[in-house]
Amino acid sequence: MAAVNRDNEEEVKTDDGSPKIKPRPIVRLGIFLIAHSPVFSVVFSAAGVLALLLLPLLAKNTYISENALMPGSARSMLSNRDVSDGSKLVKDIKNFRLNHEGQGVEVQKLIGKYMSDMGAEVSYQKFHPEGNQFHPLHFFSGPDSYTLLENVSCASYGVNVAGIIRAPRGDGKESIVLVTPYDFINGGDYEDLSLGIVSSLFSLLSRVTWLSKDIIWLVADSRYGDYRPVAAWLTEYHSPSFKVSDLLKCDEQNTADNFRRAGTMAAALVLKVDGRSEKFEDTLSIYAEASNGQMPNLDLINVVNYLAVHRQGFYVKVEKVVSLLSSSWLKIFGEIFEAVGKLAHMLNPDWNFGIPAADYLEGSATLASSLYSQALGIPTGPHGAFRDYQVDAITLKVSPRFPPDSKTRQHDFFLRGARLLEGTIRSVNNLLEKFHQSFFLYMLTSPSKFISVGVYMIAFALLVAPLPMVAASLYIDGCKSLTNSTDNPTENFKSWKWLDAAKQVFTLHLFGFIVTLLPYFICQVPGQHSPTNRSIMWGTTSSSLLLITFVTMPGCSPFSSRLHGTNWAILKSVTISAAFIGLCLMSIINFATAEIGALLLVPTCLMAQPIKPALRSRRLKSLLGAFCSIVLLTIGFPVMFFAISKGLLGEGLVGLSLGGEFWTWLESLWAWKSATYLYIGMVHLPCWLLCLCILFHPS
Amino acid sequence: MKEEKKDDGVMAEEKPYMFWIWTLASTIFRLFLIFSPENINLSSRPEVSTPHTSLRRLAEGYWLKQSSLSPYAGSMYHGSPLLLSILGPLTVQRIEGQSSHHLCSLVFVIADLLSALLLRAIGQKLQKSYRMNLRPLGVLRSSQDRGILPCGDIAALVYLWNPFTILSCVGLSTSPIENLAVIVSLYGAVTRRVPLAAFGLIMATHLSLYSAPLVFPLIFLLGYGLDAPPIKKFLQTRHGGVETGSTSDVSKQEKLTPTTQLPFSWRTVLHFVFWVLVWSSYVLVLCSLSLKQYGGLEEMFKRTYGFILRIEDLSPNIGVFWYFFAEAFEFSRNYLLIIFNLYILLTSIPSLMFRLKHRPCFLAFAYLAFTSILKSYPSVGDAALYLSLWALFVNELTDMEYSFFIFCGYIGFSLLSPVMHNFWIWRGTGNANFYFGNAMGYACFQFMFVEKSVNAMLNHDQALKKATAEMTKNLAITVIF
Repeated sequence: MAAVNRDNEEEVKTDDGSPKIKPRPIVRLGIFLIAHSPVFSVVFSAAGVLALLLLPLLAKNTYISENALMPGSARSMLSNRDVSDGSKLVKDIKNFRLNHEGQGVEVQKLIGKYMSDMGAEVSYQKFHPEGNQFHPLHFFSGPDSYTLLENVSCASYGVNVAGIIRAPRGDGKESIVLVTPYDFINGGDYEDLSLGIVSSLFSLLSRVTWLSKDIIWLVADSRYGDYRPVAAWLTEYHSPSFKVSDLLKCDEQNTADNFRRAGTMAAALVLKVDGRSEKFEDTLSIYAEASNGQMPNLDLINVVNYLAVHRQGFYVKVEKVVSLLSSSWLKIFGEIFEAVGKLAHMLNPDWNFGIPAADYLEGSATLASSLYSQALGIPTGPHGAFRDYQVDAITLKVSPRFPPDSKTRQHDFFLRGARLLEGTIRSVNNLLEKFHQSFFLYMLTSPSKFISVGVYMIAFALLVAPLPMVAASLYIDGCKSLTNSTDNPTENFKSWKWLDAAKQVFTLHLFGFIVTLLPYFICQVPGQHSPTNRSIMWGTTSSSLLLITFVTMPGCSPFSSRLHGTNWAILKSVTISAAFIGLCLMSIINFATAEIGALLLVPTCLMAQPIKPALRSRRLKSLLGAFCSIVLLTIGFPVMFFAISKGLLGEGLVGLSLGGEFWTWLESLWAWKSATYLYIGMVHLPCWLLCLCILFHPS
Repeated sequence: MKEEKKDDGVMAEEKPYMFWIWTLASTIFRLFLIFSPENINLSSRPEVSTPHTSLRRLAEGYWLKQSSLSPYAGSMYHGSPLLLSILGPLTVQRIEGQSSHHLCSLVFVIADLLSALLLRAIGQKLQKSYRMNLRPLGVLRSSQDRGILPCGDIAALVYLWNPFTILSCVGLSTSPIENLAVIVSLYGAVTRRVPLAAFGLIMATHLSLYSAPLVFPLIFLLGYGLDAPPIKKFLQTRHGGVETGSTSDVSKQEKLTPTTQLPFSWRTVLHFVFWVLVWSSYVLVLCSLSLKQYGGLEEMFKRTYGFILRIEDLSPNIGVFWYFFAEAFEFSRNYLLIIFNLYILLTSIPSLMFRLKHRPCFLAFAYLAFTSILKSYPSVGDAALYLSLWALFVNELTDMEYSFFIFCGYIGFSLLSPVMHNFWIWRGTGNANFYFGNAMGYACFQFMFVEKSVNAMLNHDQALKKATAEMTKNLAITVIF
């Protein structure tokens, strides 16, 4: 797109001299688009937003793409004996806990003993629940760069228990992982249930003959959160540290067994049981988003969804934004789309794209949640740790419909939960290679409906399409006006007029880069500071840096005299090009961030224009344009946008507490190595500042 | 690339001390990157270090040699044995408290600085000749050299501040040394130090085979002299210039040679050929001495030049060949190898040579840019070299078309490359096609860059011709009246 446009921009210039040459059709199309860029940019942006709203309509039904999976084709072998094994473990743990208050290690021993009784190899792993720290360069390095802390205290550490069943038909090179997060000290009754389900299954798997991949059951110590223990175990699994950890010394009991491994992981399932289902059936929630909007292969979700719905009768759901379900404007859209769909169906019975308004609402709420968690870049559960090692993983959260102490229902619940996991494992067990057949880039609108990358990219492409067009047309305008104004032909750099503007754009991007790194240094400031104080420090250092930049490089400042200032059309053209490159890059790294960012940045960049001529002319149209660009710029400031989105969610924030909240939010972003943080600092902020420069341009 | 534009602006202010400040700043920046505690593992990036230039492989080769094995054993090292003798000991030496390779990085920083200074000297020569050529044409009549940019300073700063150069300097790749050899040969030819030019050429060829055809630009440079507008236009000018008597004494010497052919000094060229032979035999003797126990010269040729020409290592890089040869059938491999290697030689050299023989330095740029697209293991270091050579011609190339578009393309694709690599290797959600697509896009932009530069240069000559014709016509009219 950009290539075509830019092509033509030069073409226009050369055509001035020799109009006889008839350019190629594609070139003429480009010229036409550039010449009418204001109209087309409005059309394309509107189409982009509309396409985004249409996405729930365009969702396709999921299907199992990999034939080898064959979910549900084998009869379940899980028997009552296995389930009673699981029940026994749960009972024992409960009894043990009643007798021995707060002795976590003993519970681990108990679980370990059960595992080894079933014929598994058991190993214990100690880890340090180290907090996530901001480290600027960790964005660029892989997960291997985790370093062991020098001085660990014995006061707090966690212990993971892992049991491995060796597959009778396998060669020990592949494995499937089951994870149950469990708080050994104060785990509730629901957590016991998850142990019960997996131990029932484990008891079956230790007997079966069809296993060709080893099974690892990891009981993760979730005292320090769900994610951290799994991540620590995975780090040890994939990149062992050969230093003797201090943790090994600080224990009265010897749990320093050898760490056991079982080949590459084909898939991982995290099972959690919590809360009571509000529905009549047992509910199964699927969480799939890993860091930076990465998703597991769609086939894994499909298998689980298929087995849960068609075999075990769970009510399957994925997360959705509940507040959207009652929004009236979305309902209106849904009804319009429904009416259009019905009309189309009447015209031609083959056109079946209409869906009921209620489905549309559900779909959009789910899609919004999917977009939000992908854009945030923070994994929605412990499965996120697996994705860093290219292992497909999902978290299954089961909510039973009975209270946890109901013995009679427990047996049935264990049976169905374990059968679901058995079926999934059996399918994955059939795989000869990694999951690759189905989609990796998709968004869910319901457990059985998805939007693939080819569809949702259209919305984004339409949204950013105006950027190269407007950049080209502005570039031509700017060049023309510059050629008229300069009189000295020898000093006239015909094709290098954009250099000054590029310098300004580059300086502000450099500034954005420094601002992005500043929190690292602020975290190094000695002493305990509240988030509010830190955010104030950050704000003052950044703004003083900006002032210094403006003073030392007068060309960059929006308040400079006319002599230094560059032509605003060219500046805007370069700004828009930078924004285009940044958004396109981000759309590849994390689509959801780019989409939300484009919704903000594209109108801001397109509307930005000097405010002074508008005020001077006093025409309604230009005043309206200036007003719009001021409003957009106000919303576009990251802190402001954060406050507004918080306000929409019902948490009004004003003044300094806002700064603290913002800081905490950003801290969570960089702690999870979210690329969204980089996007905000290195694309959004500089482009926003540049738009501000254009707004106050003295022309 | 972005920095380069920035420096253009800075240098336009023409403050002589600014150059040294920026040079110093670039050195400090490099040292900061080298000694900073953070390690972002640049040396393992496929864009920065190729199988042919990686210092890690060199260290491996040195280790093999220390343990009395052939350095080429095991297909790890493919560079020159002389480089192994020079850089090898440095890879094992450590500055206290620091990790190894820091000494090598210091060598690369010095090489970069030297290259920049030599580029500056070349640029100053070119600028002088540009001024001399333009003055009689009357283009600069009114403004005393005001329009001429200090292209030497610009080129040197472009070289020093180009992110590509910085990456390859900090990223433990030997390309700074290869670049230095090429620049030394050009410098020798520009200043007519024939032995130096021959030495640079031989070293560049020894380090990387693709520098061998640089012999043509060097011969032109020594035979015809520095870059100038083509001869026909000159003859016309001479006519006008003599009539008005406004030629400066410097240009008189060149202009008053009453030949209709380009003066070609065969003596210098023969001198050059002699020195080339001397240096090459010297290098060969040294190599054979160093590899005496390990198979001698034959092994060296097989493992270095053979490795380059046969494209044995198919690990991904920013070039376009690895993907192709990973897909090609085994039985057609030899045929394709011949075709591709000849393609580089036959498409670039003859056509460019005939169009640009009056501008040998520019010919060297065009050739280097062309090979850096089509060579078997390209890296960003090659791009750094040709971009800075290109900056030597900022005066001639002011009218280059599509400049902004090409600039955006370079930035976009260089940023996209690590993202695609991450997608393919680390996330597993992409595949090789993603990375190769990026490499193709990058190659397209490089092609466009070369094509537009050559076009702009030819247009510039055309414009000079027009200006000359107009001037002679005006003069004729004044003479008549």
